[in-house]
Amino acid sequence: MEGQHKHPIWAKLVGYAAFCVVILILPLFITDDYLLNKLARYLVFGLVAMALSISWGYAGILNLGQAVSFGLGSYCMAMALKLRTIPIQTGAEGLPDFMVWNNVKSLPWFWEPFHSYGFAIAAGVLVPTILALLIGTFVFRARVTGVYVSIITLALLVVINLVVIDRQRLTGGFNGLTDLAPLELFGLTFDPYAHATYYLIAVSLGAALFLGLAVVHSKTGLIMQAIRDDENRVRYFGYDVAAYQTFALCLSAAVAGFAGMLYTLVMAFASPTFLAVPVSLSIVIWSAVGGRASLLGSAMGAIIVTGVQGSLSDTPAFLETWTLIMGALFIIVVLFLPRGLISLVDRIPLGGSARRRAAAATGAASRSGINAG
Amino acid sequence: MPARAVATTGAILELRDITVEFAGFVAIAGLTLDVHEGELRCLIGPNGAGKTTALDVICGKVKPASGKVVLGGREITRLEEHQIARHGVGRKFQVPSVFRDLTVRQNMEVALCRAPGVLGNLFRFGNSGASEQLEKLAELVGLEEAMDVAAGALSHGQTQWLEIALLLAQDARLILMDEPTAGMTAHETAKTAELFNRLKGRHTLIVVEHDMGFIKEISDIISVMHQGRLLAEGTVREIETNAEVRAAYLGSGGISGA
Ligand SMILES: Nc1ncnc2c1ncn2[C@@H]1O[C@H](COP(=O)(O)OP(=O)(O)OP(=O)(O)O)[C@@H](O)[C@H]1O
Ligand SMILES: [Mg+2]
Repeated sequence: MEGQHKHPIWAKLVGYAAFCVVILILPLFITDDYLLNKLARYLVFGLVAMALSISWGYAGILNLGQAVSFGLGSYCMAMALKLRTIPIQTGAEGLPDFMVWNNVKSLPWFWEPFHSYGFAIAAGVLVPTILALLIGTFVFRARVTGVYVSIITLALLVVINLVVIDRQRLTGGFNGLTDLAPLELFGLTFDPYAHATYYLIAVSLGAALFLGLAVVHSKTGLIMQAIRDDENRVRYFGYDVAAYQTFALCLSAAVAGFAGMLYTLVMAFASPTFLAVPVSLSIVIWSAVGGRASLLGSAMGAIIVTGVQGSLSDTPAFLETWTLIMGALFIIVVLFLPRGLISLVDRIPLGGSARRRAAAATGAASRSGINAG
Repeated sequence: MPARAVATTGAILELRDITVEFAGFVAIAGLTLDVHEGELRCLIGPNGAGKTTALDVICGKVKPASGKVVLGGREITRLEEHQIARHGVGRKFQVPSVFRDLTVRQNMEVALCRAPGVLGNLFRFGNSGASEQLEKLAELVGLEEAMDVAAGALSHGQTQWLEIALLLAQDARLILMDEPTAGMTAHETAKTAELFNRLKGRHTLIVVEHDMGFIKEISDIISVMHQGRLLAEGTVREIETNAEVRAAYLGSGGISGA
């Protein structure tokens, strides 16, 4: 077993900063707006994979309901944009078109506050967070662990997905929310192909990575990792394990909800397929491939996997076989790099004298026995 | 019934008539025990006597069916494990358990629980000025060269020492040790005895042990458990000559061979 923090923190900071610089200057080299839109989508996936890394990689909570947070965030943003759609696309009395088709006479109460962008953006983060708080409190106070947490979160995802599809009059049902106005904020228009949208997403991802890094390197982050290793032992040092687990789940949900809002901006619609099992499973795969115990690794895992996936499925030669190729790649990485692609970076000797000294020391200590006192 | 009446004054820990049942099986049957401040109490008994379960009750892992646990005058019977830990109870388990993916230093930082809150700890980085204290502890247990090694890479003996260092970092006033010398070499056991003798007085310790040689090195008073009850209490000499104790150990290789 190897430790988590093999490189000193400054090396990590340099790596994270380099990544941020790359994603920020990328638009300078891209003239095709369609390609930029695709890249923006990949970065959103990077953000939601990084969110999973917080709960799964650091606190050991495999949340298979990550798509709930992502989807709810996406719907919160879409509701606000739907209410601003130009009148010709809305029904009578400013009702969203699908409500008119479904014979809804007045705007449902919970749609009302979404006339405000401020409310919608806060809701996109807070609704998933509060839901995570409820679930976390319920599940972790009851000392539910491991695979049972995954099953409960997965079941919750399925239920919420069914409700969203079933309540067509309120949610747009199977079709989701389409024909959205672009977000207009601070004099900028965030339509799917705008540079502004790309930069908003890139800056969000960069900020989230650095904030996340601060969290996982704080004492709270350390306790989360200790819980991942042996949650029972942590209790006997005086920590309220359920509180730490709930915190990790909430933080992860907040970031995923934010990513969902951004996803609505790049896609220009929200759909129940955002809030569905395949999305949750994809997020797990991205994080596993990149390295679940690394925020940057998870984000890059998502970008690489979806990037390769995108170019394979666009190439006629691989039209039939790309899912197979992706599956094989996933299995190879998980088998041979259980800590993900980022573990390749960890192997780079980085003036690695500290590590070699430490390794030599354990060797020496176990040979000579203990000399305490 | 306890074999000997105990004075209640000055006891930091009082177990009163504790009963523990596992699905109908009575593991502890009316255990009453007092431990005084600064004392090192050895708890012995044949396999299955209920020693580990008694420690589990004190640290809150197992909730008794009846009876109460009082620590420093406050009842802690129904508190959660982390609350009991915050009242100053530390625990070492029979099976070594450290955080294998964390380094030795990080393990100690976890144990050093100055403030247990989630939100406060978000703004706490590194070991907040305790670095020197941790280095000293590591030196005490001979792990100073291995501070940045993952705990999972330590040898069995080193893992045992790390656990002891964790308890010292936690600085609990009552320390519960379940078979601390299991798997140690004779040399390591001697070092452990020396360390425990130094801890006496500053901390109160309850040590579950089978090794009579080790017990003789460290103990003041020995409590003997058998079939979930307190069978006898006294000095090493008193216990070794106690007929009831000898009878209890019959068939398990004798008291020293257990
Ligand atoms: N969780 C449990 N469920 C059922 N029975 C249990 C459980 N824990 C302990 N027991 C039983 O309770 C009795 C007391 O066990 P305990 O572990 O306290 O003994 P011990 O004195 O520590 O023994 P040893 O010297 O072998 O460690 C044993 O018969 C054991 O099988
Ligand atoms: Mg035991």
